[in-house]
Order: sequence, then C-alpha cells, then structure tokens
Amino acid sequence: MKRPPLVVVLVALLILALGETGGAVMSQLRPALQRRAAARVNANAQAHGLSGSAEYDDEVRERAVYAAEAGLSFFHTHAEGLGLVLFFASTLVASVAPGRRIRAALYLLLTAGGLFPLGYAVYGVAVLELGRETGIELAERWVLTPLGSAAILGLVGLAAALAAARSRA
Amino acid sequence: MTEAPGAAWRLPPVWVLLVAVVLIVCAEVGGASMARFKLELTRWARGAMLARPAVHGLVGVRDVDERILDEALVKFDAGLRLFHMHAEGMGLVIIATTTVAATLARSGPTRGAIIALLTAGGAGYPLGYLVWAGLIPYHGLERGKAIAEWLVWIPFGGATILALWWLAGLVAWRMTRRDPV
Repeated sequence: MKRPPLVVVLVALLILALGETGGAVMSQLRPALQRRAAARVNANAQAHGLSGSAEYDDEVRERAVYAAEAGLSFFHTHAEGLGLVLFFASTLVASVAPGRRIRAALYLLLTAGGLFPLGYAVYGVAVLELGRETGIELAERWVLTPLGSAAILGLVGLAAALAAARSRA
Repeated sequence: MTEAPGAAWRLPPVWVLLVAVVLIVCAEVGGASMARFKLELTRWARGAMLARPAVHGLVGVRDVDERILDEALVKFDAGLRLFHMHAEGMGLVIIATTTVAATLARSGPTRGAIIALLTAGGAGYPLGYLVWAGLIPYHGLERGKAIAEWLVWIPFGGATILALWWLAGLVAWRMTRRDPV
C-alpha cells in the first residue's frame, strides 16, 4: 500500500494523540474540570440565563456542565475513530485514486474531515462561554457541519475512485 | 499535499500485528460473551458482592442494598462494555501507528522503542477495563477502580500517549527537513 503525504499522516497522528490525551485528562481531572465548568457558567451568568433563584440556577448549571462534559467525551471517542478513518482512507486514496489533482482534493477533504472531532472541543467550550443553546448551535453550524460534510464528501469520493478502479480492472 | 513518488508503507513486525489481531479477537469474543452470558455474569457478580457485604457497604436493608448492588452491577457491565470498545479501537490504533513508526522512524532504537510502547500500551490499556470489572465484586467500586488505574490504565495509557506524541513529533520533524514528503 502507498502512503499519503506526511501532512495527512501527521494530522491523523495528532488527532489520535489528542483523543488519547483528552480521554486521560477527562478521567484523571474530572472533579477539577467540573469545578472549572461550573465557574465558567457563573462567570457567564447572562448567557446562561441565571436568575438568582438557587434551585433554578443549579439545574441550569448542571445541564451546561453535563453538555460540556458530553462535548469532551464525544471529542475523545470521535478523535480515536476519525484519526483511524483518516489514516486508512488516505492510504486507500494514495493507493487507488488516479491523478494527482483528484488525490489532492480527496486528501484535502479527508484531512478537513479528520479535524471533525475538534468541533466537539469547540462545543464543550462554547456551551460554557455562550450558553447551552447558542454554544451548541455555533459548534454545529460553523464547525461540526462543515468538517463532517468534508469527511462525507471525501469518503464518497474515495468510494467513487474505488468503483472506477474496479471497472478499469 | 505533495506526495513522495513511490512512497509506500512498511509493515511493522509480525508479532506486533499478531498482538493487534489477537486484541481485536478478544474484543469480539468479549462482546459476544457479554451478550450470550449476560445473565450468568450478572448472577456471578451479584453473588460475589453478596458474599462480601462489608466491602460494598451492604447493611441488610433490602431497599438500601438493592440500590448499592444495582449501581455496582451497572459499573461491572460498563467495565465489560468499555473493554469491548477499547480493545477493538486500540487493535486498529496499534496497526495504524506502528505502521507509521515502521515506515518513518529511521533510527533502529527509536523505531523499536516507539513500536514497543505503542504495542504494549495499546494492548494493555483495554485490559484495565476487564481488570476493573473483575475487581468490582471483590474490592468494591472505588478500590477496584484505583487498583485498575495504577496497575493498568496509567502505565499502559501513559505509554500509548507518550509514544503517540513522540511519533507525531518525529513526523513533524521529518516534514521540516528536505525529505520528499
């Protein structure tokens, strides 16, 4: 099997390394992360609609902290998966896709798609800084959707390249 | 995205591939066993916990004890599930990352060290979830977790993280040189 350009390999490795490290941080520093997240919600009281009523505010804070933790957890799992997807898919592109331009376009789409998990890191931070709904919308619209679409397009392109290679053989 | 003409992957040593494949097999068998023997496993864990009331803080009041047992059984099940998921994932991580190391790490000792860390770390880490699940009935949730953490997760997970950053640094360093990339 041929290998893709080093930059693609590096992105795959970095995403895997970040995913592993994120998982370890989540596991070892959970209480500290939860305290930090709660403090950020308090610091952005207006964005979270805190009212001053302890019972209501506690519920809002808990939901925001839970969403931030979910963001980190999704970052960990997606980084582990998409790092591997980028590695194996780009190896197939290097080995099967015809023409430098087509390969370059597929590398670009797959590498952008490999960055998709970073959207969940953005999600985790944005939820705390901008409020739950606004943060989730920002991460989905500006990071997760474009990068996820790039991954899908890259994989569809790879599937087309494989189908073309099969019909040539 | 320039390509090195004719650049190809080199396979890692066969023993590394064997470890990765065996790990994936264990994950699959673990997943299948969890589904097939769910009832037996739950009965065994529950029996082992009831035999050690002091370890689990059981007080002999049914309402209280059932809640404690339920929580421990959920964690026991989670340990088995996490073993299944992590072993599948880490088997593939071993194959991918040791392939990169075998191809791009030029110095023999560096290559050997990275491959050894990735293989040992990747294969050992998921076993921590199995150890944790096995320890819960005998040592309780927190003590079981602490043992698994210090015995397995921290050393083996640490080895994988160290090796991944080392390998990423090595690839980045190669990119800054004039080698064809």
